[in-house]
Amino acid sequence: VDDAELLRRMAAGDEAALGALYDRWSPLVHSVVMRVVNDGDDAEELVEETFWQAWRQAGRYDASRGGISGWLVVMARSRALDRVRLRGWQRASAAESMDGASAPEPVIDAGGPLDAAEMDETRRIVRAALERLPAEQRETVEMAYFRGMSQTEIAAATGQPLGTVKTRARLALQKLREALSVLREEPA
Amino acid sequence: MTPETMHDGMRAALAAEALGALDGEERTLLHAHLAACPACRAELAELRASVGTLAYAAPPAAMDPARSGRVRARLLARAAADRDSEEGVTSDSTLVAPAPLRSLPPVDDGDDVTRVIPITAAPPRRGPSRLPWLAAAASLLLLLGTAAYAMTLRGRVMTQAAWMSAADEQQNRLERALREREATLAAVSAPAVRVIDMASTGRTEPGGRMFWDPRTDRWTFFAHDLPAVRDGREYQLWLITPGSRKIPAGTFRPGARGQAHVEATFALPADSLQAVAVTEEPTGGLPQPSGPIVIAGGMSSR
Repeated sequence: VDDAELLRRMAAGDEAALGALYDRWSPLVHSVVMRVVNDGDDAEELVEETFWQAWRQAGRYDASRGGISGWLVVMARSRALDRVRLRGWQRASAAESMDGASAPEPVIDAGGPLDAAEMDETRRIVRAALERLPAEQRETVEMAYFRGMSQTEIAAATGQPLGTVKTRARLALQKLREALSVLREEPA
Repeated sequence: MTPETMHDGMRAALAAEALGALDGEERTLLHAHLAACPACRAELAELRASVGTLAYAAPPAAMDPARSGRVRARLLARAAADRDSEEGVTSDSTLVAPAPLRSLPPVDDGDDVTRVIPITAAPPRRGPSRLPWLAAAASLLLLLGTAAYAMTLRGRVMTQAAWMSAADEQQNRLERALREREATLAAVSAPAVRVIDMASTGRTEPGGRMFWDPRTDRWTFFAHDLPAVRDGREYQLWLITPGSRKIPAGTFRPGARGQAHVEATFALPADSLQAVAVTEEPTGGLPQPSGPIVIAGGMSSR
């Protein structure tokens, strides 16, 4: 059953479809919110609220705007960044850098072996692409995406002019796009 | 500025926008430009797709299975209640009977093996939310600290969004708390529920009571006056079968007054429980008990 079908069933009031969507995507959603909030209790709440929002908005999902995992991640990341901003805590800022050298080995236990393998493969490609970026470009992307910093804040934090921050972001995304084109050629 | 240089300048800002990092006047200008420039809109969509894959750069953080099972069960219960209430609203009948109290439905993972949600302590409820005040403080700082320009639209929208988000979270938290209470009440008041009283084996007087509904596989455990545990230690709950098999049923730490409340879904044949016990073990628990029994109790005859 593909994601779009699960969403149709959710919109029709089938909560088992929500369970299936949760099994498939909660590992990714949890990884993202943990990276942002760095707190297991917060992450638990955020994961629940993300999938709850998905349940409530299943009927309004617009497939033309991108894949369902992307939709879930956008909701989750936005909530997680709100959480960090609202609490004014900078707990996440001390978290390890995005290359995750000290991160535990992947333990993805939901969604079935195929999904887990696909997720691992995507992870491998994304990480490899990031590792090939110059450090300052990778850092710019990380500050914006995982810490929710604006370009002005990044410029202040790195001591670089705004134009440099913009250029780094652009170069980084361009290179990512090239590296990741292989992913988007495959059906989601 | 000619339209061409305007376009080039705006194009340079698309990556920052895709990352959600564009701010100030520039963002307002870009959005005005986007409305009139299909090429930039298309490029922004492409860049956003690249940004979307950054989710996979987060170090994989597997959710603790007990937590994940709890979240899943809560979501399904909320969804079922939500669906029922929607159906109630749209029903043709003039009067709709109130929905009965609902215990959490068993988790159905689509195969024949019964899914087990390990018993763990319910997460501590946080006190009254300070988020609205934090949001107010945050927005005040925002207003004070930014230049006059940034004070206009964007600041207001962000503040509103923060308030909305805080209110939304608060409501969801209350709804969830209410549903958990309803599930607990249903789990201890159902007709077939069996009760296991647990008494202390030590000098202090802790005690506990387990409510087990074999029809719904629902376990609801309350304890009181448990001694505090040292760092690195937790209490572990055990279900003991007539053959003396000891089934680990999760770990927990007592609250400040020694109280504990644990809920779980676990299938056990109706005649295969002899006793329930709590031991003190290293954090995370062990496959078999190693510490002394703190409280224990056998099935009461009915």
